Amino acid sequence: MRVGLVSPYSFDVPGGVQAHIRDLAEALIGLGHHVSVLAPADDETVLPSYVVAAGRAVPVPYNGSVARVALGPISLTRVRRWLREGHFDVLHVHEPFAPSLSLLACLAARGPLVATFHTATPRSRALAAAEGVLQPVLEKISGRIAVSELARRVQVEHLAGGGVEIPNGVSVERFAGAAPLPGWPGDGGALGFLGRFTEPRKGFGILLDAFSRLAPERPGLRLLVAGPGDADEALAGLDPALRERVVLLGLVSDEDKARMLRSVDVYVAPNTGGESFGIILTEAMAAGTAIAASDLDAFRRVLDDGAGGALFRTGDAVELARVLGGLLDDAGRREALSAYGSTAVAAFDWPVVARRVLDVYDLVLAAVPGEVTGDDETLPLPEGLA
Amino acid sequence: MTVVIVSFLVAFVVAAYLTWTAGRVERLHDRCAAARASLDAQLVRRAAAAAALARDHAEVLGERAHLLRGAAQAALDAGEDGRELAENDLTRELRHVPWSGTEPVLADVVTASSRTTLARHIYNDAVRDTLALRRRRLPRALRFGAKHPWPRYFDIDDGAFPR
Repeated sequence: MRVGLVSPYSFDVPGGVQAHIRDLAEALIGLGHHVSVLAPADDETVLPSYVVAAGRAVPVPYNGSVARVALGPISLTRVRRWLREGHFDVLHVHEPFAPSLSLLACLAARGPLVATFHTATPRSRALAAAEGVLQPVLEKISGRIAVSELARRVQVEHLAGGGVEIPNGVSVERFAGAAPLPGWPGDGGALGFLGRFTEPRKGFGILLDAFSRLAPERPGLRLLVAGPGDADEALAGLDPALRERVVLLGLVSDEDKARMLRSVDVYVAPNTGGESFGIILTEAMAAGTAIAASDLDAFRRVLDDGAGGALFRTGDAVELARVLGGLLDDAGRREALSAYGSTAVAAFDWPVVARRVLDVYDLVLAAVPGEVTGDDETLPLPEGLA
Repeated sequence: MTVVIVSFLVAFVVAAYLTWTAGRVERLHDRCAAARASLDAQLVRRAAAAAALARDHAEVLGERAHLLRGAAQAALDAGEDGRELAENDLTRELRHVPWSGTEPVLADVVTASSRTTLARHIYNDAVRDTLALRRRRLPRALRFGAKHPWPRYFDIDDGAFPR
């Protein structure tokens, strides 16, 4: 099958949506399909062979963070050319309502269209305002996928669309086979955290609080942290005596992320909200690391209500400390969680997830005849406006 | 003079908008029809897989084999009105089979079931979009799409083997 994927965000910057598209593309290629990804990028950027650059991306604030997007007549021309030359059986856009390439592709394309919705921010003002205006775009999308129950609900509430839930995938092999960092996890116990630790909803402060409670009685206990942010600011409240037992790796590559997850006894996800899916949990499961996570809806789902990881009350550092203490003292329980996780994560392995996406393609093809073309002129939008 | 030009422009824009909206309604009805045909095909496949299961494993299924075959046949024979009920009965019978969804003996039935779920979502999304447009004031007033009956949601429980 010839598949065209469209990314709204630039591949120069790491991000969940871009990673999802890259992994899906590679999984589909691995299953023998032809894939082309259209993404915003400079012509000079070095990109994987299956990615086509659609022009420079500009930073735009969207959905609580800054996204690098591409809009405008040059991008639209490139979208049309890519659609014309691609001869795709199916066009699969991601985040079609982000003001970027995906939206342009939806406007220009005709034929079998599939869209994946990633956003799970409830009551997004952008979406609420766009309702109605975007209905003609939504109408062209026959197959709708949401990566989580939460993303699906957002879509149902704002856009009166349904869609099927297909979870984010994870490259199990990459995580399960990674070597721990030298000297880790050590004998005294090691905890791990990954993410932008300066962002309050990531809950790093709660983990630091719990760590401060555990550390005095556990002289060997260490904390391994990966992610971008200012270290001094993040550790300002920490007892200086404990400072050297917190190791910050900074922003890590995908490879080091896998090694980092393999380097700790317990991976901690103290998030307080805003999580759509909890992909990091599936990654920790793939790495075979025991997990302690706050009892957010998204996390409960991934962890099968506690069978795949220990849950604690969201925001409660005292309970987190108690849960972590229990896990650190009980190697048997950690092993049981790890074994459960390794089995459960098979359902999230990318080849498995990609086959489910292919099922959606098949059924959309059965319901929409013809190949994808880029010549929809029926929308009353002059090119410059789009 | 200016008045004439402006009137012409306005008339042109209005005409373009009306043509475009009428086209949208037609395209949505086409989408519903195609999605419905695809859903029907999946439902037939599911019933056929269930019937084959009842036939090939009658000994293990015991008296359930008879019920399963009956439910599958009823789903195949059902008319427009009784279709949803018959399909729900078939789902209920499929839940009673003594195998889990991961066992190879169920492979055909499980595949057909999950594809039915997908086809139903695709069809219901098409219905939702069509109704959203046809319920608006303009299409109603101008009777856009009036030659087509209002599409109906197809609501069944087809999750006999949740993933």
